[in-house]
Amino acid sequence: MNIWLAAATVLLAATAPLGWLAFRRSPADGIVAIELAGIVVALAMLAIAEGTNRQPFGDLALILAALSFGGSLVFARFLELGERDE
Amino acid sequence: MRTAIADVLLGGGVLLVLGAIAGTVAMQDALDRLHFAGPASLGGILIAAAALVRSGPSTIALKAGLLALFILATSPVLAHFTARAIREWERGTWKLTADEQERARR
Repeated sequence: MNIWLAAATVLLAATAPLGWLAFRRSPADGIVAIELAGIVVALAMLAIAEGTNRQPFGDLALILAALSFGGSLVFARFLELGERDE
Repeated sequence: MRTAIADVLLGGGVLLVLGAIAGTVAMQDALDRLHFAGPASLGGILIAAAALVRSGPSTIALKAGLLALFILATSPVLAHFTARAIREWERGTWKLTADEQERARR
């Protein structure tokens, strides 16, 4: 295992607290966690591409970043339109 | 030498991202969490720079650069849109209340 794969492992493991945040806290907290997780996983994919010298993983990172951005916008829009449970 | 620089950039990027995650999890309010999520994009730029330094001019370096540019361009947009959505969800409107307008004038 080289340093890039180690970095990817650390980044992927670090998304666990964000998952906990998304599942256990309010929808607003969850959206922030999901947005951050999208960036972190895209960076992990880039690190995997570099660590394994496989360029197609770089494409996955780019596509994931783009889809994560669009998905986060949609989630935020739904949050804006939804009503808060008191 | 290039490998050492790339390793330092990678380590710095990962540390920034971990710091952003720690701050996001530690805060209590959604807007505070959003504030701490920002440095992750800077970490992304460091990680992409590490890939550029390590690989030199190559396809993977181009993809890393594109990813960094994309994150840099979209992160503020997303943060603004999300902050507005959270405020609308919490208070019913994103506009300033009378109290907040008064405080802003002072």
